[in-house]
This record gives sequence, structure tokens and C-alpha cells, in this order.
Amino acid sequence: MTSKGKLNIDEHGRSDSYRVATIPSNYDDNKTADGRPKSRRKVKKIRKADDLDDLKQELDIDYHKISPEELYQRFQTHPENGLSHAKAKENLDRDGPNALTPPKTTPEWVKFCKNLFGGFALLLWIGAILCFIAYSIQASTVEEPADDNLYLGVVLAAVVIVTGIFSYYQESKSSKIMESFKNMVPQFATVLREGEKLTLRAEDLVLGDVVEVKFGDRIPADIRIIETRGFKVDNSSLTGESEPQSRSPDFTHENPLETKNLAFFSTNAVEGTAKGVVISCGDNTVMGRIAGLASGLDTGETPIAKEIHHFIQLITGVAVFLGVTFFVIAFILGYHWLDAVIFLIGIIVANVPEGLLATVTVCLTLTAKRMASKNCLVKNLEAVETLGSTSTICSDKTGTLTQNRMTVAHMWFDNQIIEADTTEDQSGVQYDRTSPGFKALSRIATLCNRAEFKPGQDGVAILKREVNGDASEAALLKCMELALGDIMSIRRKNKKVCEIPFNSTNKYQVSVHENEDPNDPRHILVMKGAPERILERCNTIFICGKEKVLDEEMKEAFNNAYLELGGLGERVLGFCDFMMPSDKYPIGFKFNSDDANFPLDGLRFVGLMSMIDPPRAAVPDAVAKCRSAGIKVIMVTGDHPITAKAIAKSVGIISEGNETVEDIAQRLNIPVSEVNPREAKAAVVHGSDLRDLSSDQLDEILRYHTEIVFARTSPQQKLIIVEGCQRMGAIVAVTGDGVNDSPALKKADIGVAMGIAGSDVSKQAADMILLDDNFASIVTGVEEGRLIFDNLKKSIAYTLTSNIPEISPFLAFILCDIPLPLGTVTILCIDLGTDMVPAISLAYEEAESDIMKRPPRDPQNDKLVNDRLISMAYGQIGMIQAAAGFFVYFVIMAENGFLPMKLFGIRKQWDSKAVNDLTDSYGQEWTYRDRKTLEYTCHTAFFVSIVVVQWADLIICKTRRNSIVHQGMRNWALNFGLIFETALAAFLSYTPGMDKGLRMFPLKFVWWLPAIPFMLSIFIYDEVRRFYLRRCPGGWLEQETYY
Amino acid sequence: MASSPGKNADNGVVEFQFYKPDNRTKWEAFQKAIYDKSSNQFLGRTPKSWGQLLVFYSIFYIVLAALFAICMQGLFATLHEREPKWKLGSSLIGDNPGLGFRPISNKTEEGSLIWYNVTNATTSEKWIKFVDDFLIPYRQNQSDKNFVDCNFTSPPPEGEVCRATPDQFENCSPERKYGYGGMSPCIFLKLNRIIDWKPKYFTSPQKGMPQELSSYIEKLEIANSTERRIWVSCNGVNDVDKESIKGFNYYPKGFASFYYPFKNVKNYLSPIVAVELIDVRPNIVILVECRAWASNVKYVGGTLNRAGSVTFEIQVDGAYENPSLKTAKSAKIEATIKPENKTDAVPTTLAPASSSQATTTVVNASTI
Repeated sequence: MTSKGKLNIDEHGRSDSYRVATIPSNYDDNKTADGRPKSRRKVKKIRKADDLDDLKQELDIDYHKISPEELYQRFQTHPENGLSHAKAKENLDRDGPNALTPPKTTPEWVKFCKNLFGGFALLLWIGAILCFIAYSIQASTVEEPADDNLYLGVVLAAVVIVTGIFSYYQESKSSKIMESFKNMVPQFATVLREGEKLTLRAEDLVLGDVVEVKFGDRIPADIRIIETRGFKVDNSSLTGESEPQSRSPDFTHENPLETKNLAFFSTNAVEGTAKGVVISCGDNTVMGRIAGLASGLDTGETPIAKEIHHFIQLITGVAVFLGVTFFVIAFILGYHWLDAVIFLIGIIVANVPEGLLATVTVCLTLTAKRMASKNCLVKNLEAVETLGSTSTICSDKTGTLTQNRMTVAHMWFDNQIIEADTTEDQSGVQYDRTSPGFKALSRIATLCNRAEFKPGQDGVAILKREVNGDASEAALLKCMELALGDIMSIRRKNKKVCEIPFNSTNKYQVSVHENEDPNDPRHILVMKGAPERILERCNTIFICGKEKVLDEEMKEAFNNAYLELGGLGERVLGFCDFMMPSDKYPIGFKFNSDDANFPLDGLRFVGLMSMIDPPRAAVPDAVAKCRSAGIKVIMVTGDHPITAKAIAKSVGIISEGNETVEDIAQRLNIPVSEVNPREAKAAVVHGSDLRDLSSDQLDEILRYHTEIVFARTSPQQKLIIVEGCQRMGAIVAVTGDGVNDSPALKKADIGVAMGIAGSDVSKQAADMILLDDNFASIVTGVEEGRLIFDNLKKSIAYTLTSNIPEISPFLAFILCDIPLPLGTVTILCIDLGTDMVPAISLAYEEAESDIMKRPPRDPQNDKLVNDRLISMAYGQIGMIQAAAGFFVYFVIMAENGFLPMKLFGIRKQWDSKAVNDLTDSYGQEWTYRDRKTLEYTCHTAFFVSIVVVQWADLIICKTRRNSIVHQGMRNWALNFGLIFETALAAFLSYTPGMDKGLRMFPLKFVWWLPAIPFMLSIFIYDEVRRFYLRRCPGGWLEQETYY
Repeated sequence: MASSPGKNADNGVVEFQFYKPDNRTKWEAFQKAIYDKSSNQFLGRTPKSWGQLLVFYSIFYIVLAALFAICMQGLFATLHEREPKWKLGSSLIGDNPGLGFRPISNKTEEGSLIWYNVTNATTSEKWIKFVDDFLIPYRQNQSDKNFVDCNFTSPPPEGEVCRATPDQFENCSPERKYGYGGMSPCIFLKLNRIIDWKPKYFTSPQKGMPQELSSYIEKLEIANSTERRIWVSCNGVNDVDKESIKGFNYYPKGFASFYYPFKNVKNYLSPIVAVELIDVRPNIVILVECRAWASNVKYVGGTLNRAGSVTFEIQVDGAYENPSLKTAKSAKIEATIKPENKTDAVPTTLAPASSSQATTTVVNASTI
């Protein structure tokens, strides 16, 4: 039952399969993909690196080569009796339980500390510590120190702790969902010990145990097969091969992973039964080694973490620059050096956007929640954005792009190829089910088929039902169930009287049935098998309801169809039947299956059916969307090149009309070596070729081919491919479901595992899990990721803007000796109060344009926070806001008696408690208490006017290019934010008691108004700016102000 | 193919372009960032680009400054020349005037402490100078301009102000160096000016008034006098402070009613009350609080939230030093403030101060 594919791929045939790659060529030189040394930590832990190298080595065992007798001797076991209990106990004590060591889970407190001290939080901690330092300097020099710094330090620390707890809580919530995936059902294995059949938990298996496996079981350990009956295993989770592999006691290949007499831990038995000796357990199994490799890999920073890192550098730079500048100025102005130090600290701390950490965390959480509702579960908050930055997706084929379910794709009868509907929901084209050709073919496919639906699946869609039996028979069963309805009753009507099951020597399967037509006493003989073998046994062919002699012309037609279907990467079966003459074989005739007493030659050929693991319905669309979003989609599979290429073509990874080097060679009829590889857009690279490629050659392939399929790749090679892409500067997403994908999943910038079909190991290694296994969810992820990146920009621009009106009062206080216009408490009220909800609400902003129609961001140049954003926020909008604040300050001072000129130089008198009669511009004399009330009222008014100008800022931050008229005000979270900040400001100002608690005083209504001209000018300025951005794309204004 | 790598013809979107990683060392990258010879860039920009940015920001800030100036002009247009927009209760100054005291150090770090050493004339000169400066407006020629003589029955007409001269200070006269030559220094109190504030006077003794003041008011009440004043009283804040001052003399007893309300008329002079602190105990810091008495002056004590009152500290060093009286605290203050004076304090204390006024004080003090 081999596929026709074998004919075409002799240069890298199935035989030297994906395992070519368990090679040590990928020696871990402790360098990252781009050639920089990996973390220092790892250099120290040489042992760990050694272990990892060891895992990258080829599996070197000889259990499959030695004779069974030697095997029994080595393990002191017996094929019939198994191990003795004593020996089993001894082995168990020596080797430990047969289970994978779970990947080292980071202790909860370490996770907590990471949230508490990572990235942005560190900046706030430094700010808090600086505050405490400043306070202690003051406390040791002044008798009654102002407690502002202490206050600020405590608030900063509180903010970090609260945000840390919040994000820790978020992460632990997703990891709880993760844990629910873990298969809690204990596995059992049937073991022979001291001649008794025991059912043990799989963990209790030891080396040398003789186990029995039957279809439907999971292989409990790596076993050497000693007895089989039609045994087949599904290796797809380990190798990516979608077809079940038959297993027998014969030693067929040097490579332990290739030989037929080994079956591996965690793969599934799909058919038949087998008996075997356990040769390795737990972490030593093939699966265990791959899992170990995956958990040993270091993953780098997420793109968003890098961006935040860059942002912190920028902010720190600005803060230190401002701080030092004013430190020097303060010195020149003749301040005491201790005062200058306190100013320095004050300015640096004032630059720290206290609320931003919380804002970013909440924005990411909101997106994570939204993605979870769209079936993308994000394990790590920072990974939310990564998909948005992704420029390359390396996708596994089996189970990710495809349904991992053999389905009938094509039929050939009446000398034409009919396409069957392979979509999951049967939404594809339907074919004519009434022609005599189809009727004959369907009868054979129905009757010559041992597969049966598992009971109790009445509600389940036919294609999703589970089937007992061979994958291709299951495919036929489902296809027929769809076409004809109740197959079981058809089979009952055509009672099976005799059957010869499939075996590898005759490569066919035949059965004899009674005829359902009561008037026709003839038996029907139905046969299916390898097409060429079936054809050999036929004399006639059934075409358009007529039986014709099978001439050369028909054979030619058959061959063409066979080649065409084989070329599609499909597994082809031939079908024939024969109406047995009733005189020779009357009802009740004793058919003998062992010694066939009925004709097996001269049959009537009916047609071909071909099967493939079809792509998921949503995949082609999703791939097209990814491509239009500028994302390169690379297929990396352990499966065969022909199948891989066929699937790649059908999902659009290789787009229509694009040729590989081999295609060009075939078309021009020249040897492959003469084709200029640059002419081929597409490339199908075989794992064995990949082994011989230097990293430069790999780079070249990645660079010059837009459409790439890597076939027959090993887990290690998947890793190399991911590293290759990363070396080129791409941000790589890897999707996969199998164990073989897990190292690549771990290494990728974002690993995406499948929630339903995915193996536990792959889920452990991944950063994101598609709960519905739908590749199309990735598109959602990309979209959400890009949106949150844009919206974070807006949110940060909004938050940073108010930094200028917050810092400038303090600077004016130092430079101009005026009473402080805005106090620490009010700054905190802005950063942690009024600005929070609006900043978060920007996360709900809709995209300005189709974000899936633009290329992924360039991680080198397109930063989250760049100098243009700082220039806009600090240099332009922030300055207008500061002007608004100072204007309100001057208004209140002047209206109460202190004209602006009077204020300059008054600071010392103003702040002196001894001075109880400070004269204003009108000769009035102010007590300390009254003028402090005035000052705090100014703080409140300054605060209120920042809120007023932040209205405009919020509205202009909604868009970076479009007009607000175009964008609209449909973001209700944002509209709520506008009302919320206003209400909060009013609450803080007017609530009785606030004067005592926060030193906020009620304002006259008119004092809300002076900021309005500035609010309007912000709005108008930015609308005009964006108008020019749209009118002159790429112009100077865009280069300097588009963030 | 090489001509358009990564170009996807279907939708015009350019696929991600792989790039070559930056292999420069940090130092090279830093050098390039400062000055890039190949593109003539300073700090990442060409001079032209810097120029453009400068022009842009110049224009931006000029326009912003203009906007600010227009707004300020608008503000000034709404202000009156002689009185602020908000007055009394609607202003934050409120309608509860506090008190101010003189002399006060010009160095705000020294706070409200008045410190001098009777044996060292330079230390007291400072305070005398402060008071002299404070009284300059009161000493000016008040015969012309808009000054008029006022009394309790004849307040000043509109646009004119009452004369206020420093000649009724008796013991606190400049001739006696305002008491700073001896142990009974004077401080000068004035009520904070609040435009349009009209006092409501006490014409009968109030609870909490010192005995002396109560009896004075009682006498006035009996005599049916027209004298209306915002009374003033001082006392030590704590018991220790109270014991450290023998008594207070007020010249006069309060702020005369004809000075009110303050209308910000040109040349207006606030009435002053000179308070003589009689026989201050030497070498310790004494905290003194003075308050104004009127029914619409609400009194709140304390240093931060005080209203209708004022506090200050006074310390007089050097006279008849009695080691047993000297507290550790005052010794410390003395040591920190003027350590060099301590050495020559003993020989000079025995010699009486030259001026006659000082002698009387010293004699008074010695009789305790």
C-alpha cells in the first residue's frame, strides 16, 4: 500500500527519513542565532550545556540489531513469562518510574519576583529608592523635613507591588488553564511478569518488561517488537509523518528510528496488536530526549520586552539629562549642594511615569483576554504582542495545517478524476453520486472495508467520528458514510461470507459478499489494494456502466490518473470487483480464505480512490491573510516532500504558478544542477540536504526564496531553521503540535501549540495555545498583536505627554523662585488617577487602517517608543499643556493678589513658616496658612487644567494619521475615560476633607476655564499636523513627528 | 528574482526583508552616533536636519509664547489696579487676618528666632537695624501727601490715610534701642492687611484675655469710651515659656479702629503695637505667641495652621549667667550658634552696659 510518491523521490526517498537529522552538526557553541554569545549564566553551567549537547546527539542503541534471544538475555527477561517481580522491583528502584521528568517549573516565588522586579518595575524601584535617599538626606539635615519624598517613595513602591501582584495573578491564571490540559487519566499497560498478565500503571514499567499493546493504546515506553499482528503505529507526534507506520519484529534499518522493530513512547497504536520488550524508559526514550532538548533551550527576550527595555533607556536618558542639567543650574544659582542633590533626585523621579507600568500591564491583559475569547490562549503576557511583530511563521504541517485525518480526496472512475469534498464541514464541491461507475466503486469501498465507527458517536459529525481500523479504511468508511448513508446496514444486507485481509506480500484485500438483491443469487467479490497490483488482476474495466476490455489505451488512462494523483501527494488505492457466477458459487458455498477457492484474477477494474490528510478549511485563507500582512509562511514538516509540497500548494504556501528548482528543471527538461536557483521563487528542501548545508547556504535559501517548504526535518533541524530565520533578523513564530516541534516552539520568538491535538510537551514549550487548533486563529493573533502595539504607542504617547506639565512646575520653582505650582500629591493624582483609565481605554481603540495589509514592523527601526514620540509628547503637546497649567497658576495667583512679577523670587519668604505677613501686589498681607491654601489651590487648579488639556490629548492620541472625524468617537471605553477623569478631578477638588488628606482645595468654576484655549490649540495643532501627514506622506513633518 | 526579493505581486505588500545584523562594536556604534563621517551626521542628524528641527521648534515655541502672552493679556485686562479680583471670603486670603511681628531675620533659615547676646553689641545691632528699617515708613514726613490725623471718632476721609508714628512706644523707643541692649527686648506686632476687612471690636472682656487687658477694657467700658481697638495679648506658649518671661508691656494695647478698613489707599501705614517682653530669662529659647482680639478674628494656635495669631522664638544670652538655670538645650544652641562668644562672655558680663537704658534693664533683671 505504498504511495506512488516513492517513484518520484528516489533521490531522497522515504527510506532515509527525517531522522537524518539527529546529527551533532548543530554543536552548541554557546552562541545565539545572530552570533552573539548566549547568556553568561550558561557558560558557567557547562554541565547543563553538556547535557544539551548529549540530547542533540544521534540516538545510539543496538537493541534493534541484536537477536531476540540476546535481547532477553540482556534484560534477563523471557518472551512468555516476562520479568520476575524481584527483578522488576530492582529495575524500578534503579531507574525510577517510567515517566518524563516534568520540565523544571520555576518556583512560584521566582515567578512572583520576576513580575515584581522585571523590566519596567525596576525603573520604578530605582525611583522609589532615590526618593527614600532624598528623604533621608532631608531628614538628617532639616528638623521638619517635607514628607513629599517619603510619600512618593511609598507610592512608587506600592504601585510596583500592586502591578506585580496583578500580572503575577494574570499569569498564574493562564498557567492554571495550562494545567487543566494535562492528561490526568492514568495510563495503563498490560505487562507479563512471572508468566502472569498484569495491568500496571505505565509509570511502573521497567526495562525488560514484556508488554502487550493493542490498537487504541498509547505505547507505554520505547519497545522492541517481538510479535505483531497487523500492527501499525501513528508516529505523527514524533516525526510528523501523517501515515501510520506498520511495525513487525524484523530488523529493517540501521537507524533505530527507522527500523520496523521498534515502537516509541507516546506514539499511538492504531491497528493490530503487538508484544514487545521495553528497552528504554522515561527520559531516555526518544520522546524524552526531545522533550529534554526543548526544556534545555534558552529563549530570548520577547520583542515587547525589548521595546520596553529601549523605552526605559530613553526615559532614563531624558531623566538623567534633565536632572544633571538642573543640578548644574542649581549649583550656579547658588543652592546648597544638598538641595541640589534633592532637586536632582526630584527631577529624575518626576520623569518616571508612575502609571505606565500598570497601564501597559492592563492593556496587555485586556488583549490577552480578548485573544483568549478568540481561542488564542497566551501563557505569557508579553507574548501577546509578539505575534503582531512576527515576520516569519514556520508552521508544522500535520495537525496544524492539516486535519491529521486521512480523507478521500479524489476518485477516478469512468475515466475521469472526481474531486471529493475534503473540507471539515462538507462545504466543498459535491460530485455526482448516481453514475453507475460511482455506485460500483462505492460498493467495493463499503464492503471491502473492515473499519467501523466506534459506538456512541451519534451526535458527532461523520468526519470527526473516531474509527476502529486503518486510517485509509477509515477514510473510505467516512467517505462512503457521507455518500451513501448508513454503511453498517448496507454491510448487513451484503453479508460477508469470506475475507482475505491485507498483507504486505500480496498487497491487496479481498472479501466475498452475498448480494443484497434477492433476485440475484450471485456472490460479489470485492478487492482493493495497491493500484498496479489490482490492475494486474483485471481483464476488464467498468466505464460508464459498460464493461470494456482492458486495453493498452485504458491502461494508459489508468497510469495517467495514477501518476496525477500520486503527484498530488495522495495515497492511491485501486478497486475492482467480480460478480461470481451463481452456478459455480451458489448460496452457501464454502469459501476458504486460507486457501482461496475462488477467482482472484480476471476481475473487473472499477476505479481508484486517493486519500490525503487534507488541509484545514480555514488554512488557505489564513495563509493568504498572513501573506498580505507581509508575513512569510514557511512549512517545516517531518513528512515527505511530495505530500508536503502538495499540501503547501493547496494551502497557498507555494502559490499558484510558482515553481521550485525541480519544477523548472522538469519543465525545461534540463538537469536540476543547471537551473539557476534564483529563478525559483519556491523551494522544497529535504532534511537530508539541509544536513549538508552550511548556515550561509541556509541563509541564502531563506533570503532568496519566498516560498519554502522544509520536508523530512528532524526536531533539531526545525531548531536550525528557526535559528536561521532569527539570525536574519526575523521575528519567528512556530506552530506545531507534535513532540518533534517542541524544541522549535521553545526557540521561536513565539511558539504556538495546538490545544486539542497538541502534545503536552509542545504545550509546555509554547508561549501561546490555539484552543481550537485552528491555524486561522493565528491571523487573529497577528491582528490583535499589531493592534495592541499601535495602541500601546498611543497609550504611552498620552501618558508621557503629561510628564512635561508635571516636571516643569518643579523646574520653575527651582529656576524662578516662584511658589511651587504643582505638588507631588497632585502629580500622583494625575499619573495614578485621572490618566489611568483614559490610557487604558486607548487599548480598545480600533485600528486606523487595515493593519493586515501592511508589512510587519521592522524590529530594528520601528520602535514602540521612538524619538519622534518623545519629541511630540515632550516637545510639543507637553509644552502646550505646561503653558496651560502655568496660565491657570498665574490666573489664580493674580486674582488673589499676587501678580506674576511679584511671584518671581518670592519662594523663600513664601515657604518660610516664620513669615506670617507676606505682602502681595495689592498690599494685603498673607499668613503662612492662607498662602499655603492659595498654593494648594493653585496645585489643584494646575491639576484640573492638566485634566482639561488631557481631554484634547486623549482625542488626538486616538489616531496617529487619520483625522478624528474619520476615526469617530465610537470607542466607548475612551468616552467613559473622558468622563471618568473629569469626574475624578471634580471629586478630588470638591470632596470635603480633601484639603486635609490630599491638600486639594475646591476651585471656583471659572478656574476650570483658563486651560480651554490651550486644550483647543492642542486639538487644532494636531489635526492640522495630521492633515499635512496625510497630504504629504513621507514629508518632513512625517519624518519628524509621525511616531 | 534577485531584483525584487520578497515582493509579493498579488497585493503589493512587501514581505519582511531579512537584513544583515549589525556587527559593529558598541564603541564604534557610539562613535557613529556622535559623528558619522559618511553621512556628515552629528548625533544622528545632518546639520541641515538639525537646522530644520531648530526652525520648526522655534516657530512652534514662538507661536506658543504668543498664545500664552495673549492669554496673559486677557488676564491682566480683567484685573483692577487697586484691589484684587477676589476679596475677603471669596479670596483665599479669607477674612481672618493674622499677625506679623518684627524684627524678623532676613535669612529664612533662621526662622522666627530672635537671638542676641547682651554682652555683644554686634549681635543686638542686627535686630535694632531690622526694626529701624521696619520703622522707616513711619518716620517719614507725614505732614504732606494724603496723611491726616485720626482719632476714634474721626476716621480718615476717602483717599486719605491716618498718620502712624513711632513715638508712643515708651520703653520700646528707638532711644532705648527697642530694648535690645538689655533683657527686655521689644517686638513689634502688626495686623495683616486685608482689603475691605472691617474688624468687630470687643468692648467687654473676653474669656482668655490676660487680667491686665480685661481690666483695661472694663475701665473703658465703664468710662463709655469711644476707644475701639483690636486688642493684642502675648504669652509664652508652654508653661516653661510662661515662667521665663516676667510680663509684657503693650504700647498701645491694640490696633486702633480708625486704621480700618484697609482700602489699599496710597501711603497707608499699618498700626503697630510694640510689645516689651519684660525680663526674659537668659540663655534659653522662649516660644512666644501673640494674638489679636476681635470678634471676627478667629484664633487658631500653632505654628503651621495658626490664625489670628503669630508665634516667634526669642533667646537672649549672656546676662548674669546662672549655670544652674542653663539648660542643656540652650547650652547646645549657644555652642552651635556662637561658640566663639562663649569664651569672652564671662569677663564682659560683669561690666554693665554703657547705655543708661541698658543699665536700668539690667538692674531690673538683677532684682529678680
